Amino acid sequence: MVRDDLMIKKATNVLDKIEESLARLNEKMEVIIEIQRGGNEVTKSIPGLPDASLDVMTLLSMPDHLRKTAMTICRCNRATAEEVSKQTCRARAVESAYLNQLVIMGYVKKERRGRKAYFFIEKEIKS
Amino acid sequence: MSKIIAVHSYKGGTGKTSLSVNLAATFAKLGKKVALFDLDFRAPSLFAILKAEDSECWVNDYLNNTCEIDKTLMDLSSRLTGGGKFYASLANPATEAIRDMSSKDRKWEMRALGRLLSLKDSLLKEQGFDYIVFDTSPGLQYSSINAIVAADFVVVATTGDRSDVNGTKRMLKELYNLFEKKTGLVLNKVIDPSLTAKKAEIANNIKTTYQVPMLGVIPCFCEILRAEGNLIFVQDKPDHPFTKILSEMARKIENDEIS
Repeated sequence: MVRDDLMIKKATNVLDKIEESLARLNEKMEVIIEIQRGGNEVTKSIPGLPDASLDVMTLLSMPDHLRKTAMTICRCNRATAEEVSKQTCRARAVESAYLNQLVIMGYVKKERRGRKAYFFIEKEIKS
Repeated sequence: MSKIIAVHSYKGGTGKTSLSVNLAATFAKLGKKVALFDLDFRAPSLFAILKAEDSECWVNDYLNNTCEIDKTLMDLSSRLTGGGKFYASLANPATEAIRDMSSKDRKWEMRALGRLLSLKDSLLKEQGFDYIVFDTSPGLQYSSINAIVAADFVVVATTGDRSDVNGTKRMLKELYNLFEKKTGLVLNKVIDPSLTAKKAEIANNIKTTYQVPMLGVIPCFCEILRAEGNLIFVQDKPDHPFTKILSEMARKIENDEIS
C-alpha cells in the first residue's frame, strides 16, 4: 500500500515536470508561429534596443495589436500573459506572443518565477 | 465611479484652463473630492488663477520623483461652497523649471507616465478622491500625451476657428482613437446670439464633423473675458449661464451620459 502511494507520488511529480516543460515549449512555439505569420516584419519596422524606452511616442508608432498589449503592461506595471489577456479580451496565447515580441524589441522585460512568466517595464535608472 | 479627466485641445487659447478650473470646482461644489493638476509645464497658469504662488512642492517634483504626491496638493476647499474637497497640484512657473521640463529625455517621460498612472492607486483608490482633472498643454506634447494616456476620459476643447477644427479632427483620429480614449467635445467661445435656438443643429454638426459625442457648447461670454482669470466663475457667479452649462457637463460625465 505504502509502495503504491510512493509510486503514485513519483509518477505525479514526473507528470508535473512534463506539463511544465510542455508549457514552456508551447510558449516558444507561439512566438515562432507569430514571427512566421508576419510578426518579424513588425519587429523589423520598429528597431528595438536592448533597453528601449516604452514612452508615449513609441506607443503611438506601434502597430495597433502591440500597442494594446504594451499599454496594458504600462497600466499593470507587472503582469502574466493571462492577466493581460483578461484586460484586452484576447486569447492568452496571442498575448503571450505579443509580449514576447515586446521583449525581443527591448521594451518589456521577462522574468520567470516557478511556472509563471511575468512581464514588466524596467523603470529604474541604471547607474 | 472615480475617474481621471484630461482637458486637452489642438491649439492654445481654446479655454482649457478655464474649463479645467471650473469643471473641477463644479465637481467639488457637488460634494466631490477633487484634485486639479496643472500639467502645462511650458506655460504654467493655475498658480496665478488660484492665487497660490507659493507651493511647498510642485507637480514637477512629483514627476521628478523627489516628492510624494500629498506634499504637492494644496487644500483650497475653503474657497468653495458645497461641502466638497478641492485640491490643486501646481506646475512650477520658474523659468528654470520650465526649461528643465522641456529638456527631459524619453526615459524620463516613460517614468513620468508611470507616475501619472499610479495616481489611480494613490489618490483615487487609497485616498478616496472622486475626480482628478488634468489641465494640459495644447497639441502633441509629451506631457499632454502622457496625461491623455493616464486619463479615463478626455474633454477636447475646440473653437470654430478653421485651423483648430482641422487640427482637432486629425488629433481625434490619430491620437485619441489610437489610445482608445473616451472623449467628449466642448465647442467653446461660440459667437452666435441665437445659440439656444441652434443648439440641436450645432450638436448635429459637431457629430458629423468630428464623429465624437458632444459634451457641451459654450457661448463667448464677455463677462469671463472681463474677469481676466480673477474668478473661479462657477463659485462667484452661481446664476450665470456658464455655471449652468458646466453643471450640465459635470452631470453628463458623472452619469456617463456622453452621446
